Amino acid sequence: MLSLAWTFLKVGLLFFGGGYVLLPLLQHLLVEQYQWLTLQEFLDGVAISQLTPGPLAILATFAGVRIGGFSGGLVATICVFLPCVVLMLLVGRWYDRLKEINLIRATLDGVLPAVVGLVASAAWSLGSTLAGVQQWLLLVGAFVVFRYTKVNPMLMILGAGLLGMLV
Amino acid sequence: MAQISEHKYPHVSLWQIFTLFFTIGITGFGGGMAIVALTERLVVREKQWVTSEEFLHGLAFGQILGPFSLNTCTFVGYRLRGVSGGVLAAVGFMLPSFLIVSLLAWLYLRFQHLHLLKKALSATNPVVIALICAVVLDMGKKQVRGLNGLLLALAAFAAVALFKLNVALVLVAGLVWALASALWQREH
Repeated sequence: MLSLAWTFLKVGLLFFGGGYVLLPLLQHLLVEQYQWLTLQEFLDGVAISQLTPGPLAILATFAGVRIGGFSGGLVATICVFLPCVVLMLLVGRWYDRLKEINLIRATLDGVLPAVVGLVASAAWSLGSTLAGVQQWLLLVGAFVVFRYTKVNPMLMILGAGLLGMLV
Repeated sequence: MAQISEHKYPHVSLWQIFTLFFTIGITGFGGGMAIVALTERLVVREKQWVTSEEFLHGLAFGQILGPFSLNTCTFVGYRLRGVSGGVLAAVGFMLPSFLIVSLLAWLYLRFQHLHLLKKALSATNPVVIALICAVVLDMGKKQVRGLNGLLLALAAFAAVALFKLNVALVLVAGLVWALASALWQREH
């Protein structure tokens, strides 16, 4: 349970530039390094965490429950969000005095292209779970819908789930 | 505490903070920005707990520090009632999602081998990957500017996808690189 807490605390410290950077990070740690989850379970976990209003990092809850039951989920969730909550409390406190803000902003903006590359690498390795023409067609179709409409991802995932049950 | 505007903070009880952000955590579907819009409506326009300017500053910092929907809630809670306000706002906002995911994860692990669930998830997987691809393209268009940006993105992708390097390591290396070029640009 301690290594679980430490792992998610590390992840929590590293996620800036949007929740999506969490995908390659968690995938690497949970699937490849510690092998707590299979790639398939990881992908199912992403689908489940997209069904809530919480940020994508709520994926940590799913992973925690998988590893250590309800208490595992609780520990993982607290650890993954603790760094950003603490930092945000400090921001609230030093709100008027953050002078070096331009440098911080420039640095974080500068790293964003790397974040894009990392998220792309997550899509790349998750793609290896796909099998059969049907799944690839579904991927292309869903991509077009996401690209050209503002449809809610949650509805798309629920719809796909229903479709899968019926076919 | 020095305030940037003459906005008087209304007295808001910790319970009010918790219940408001809990409600946002239940009803705020539609992704990060939709939640921020809902929060803004409630705490700035309706209840006038914080000014619009302060809210936007909180959002800007929140975007730097990761999950900005959560961060904005923490920020507003802190401005109203200090650390306990900030923590309660964060917990209130996350609690519904935490409970939903815990329940679904439990169901998933219990019924993982159920035929119907397997079929449903085999259809959601491509959709999830498509969503990630769409995000990559969207982020790429906004964030990858110029040849330097493109090279950095490709290098990060190749480092992880092809050379199997540690993701956290690549991210830290990217940060060091970005800080160095930010400092360079400031000096020149």
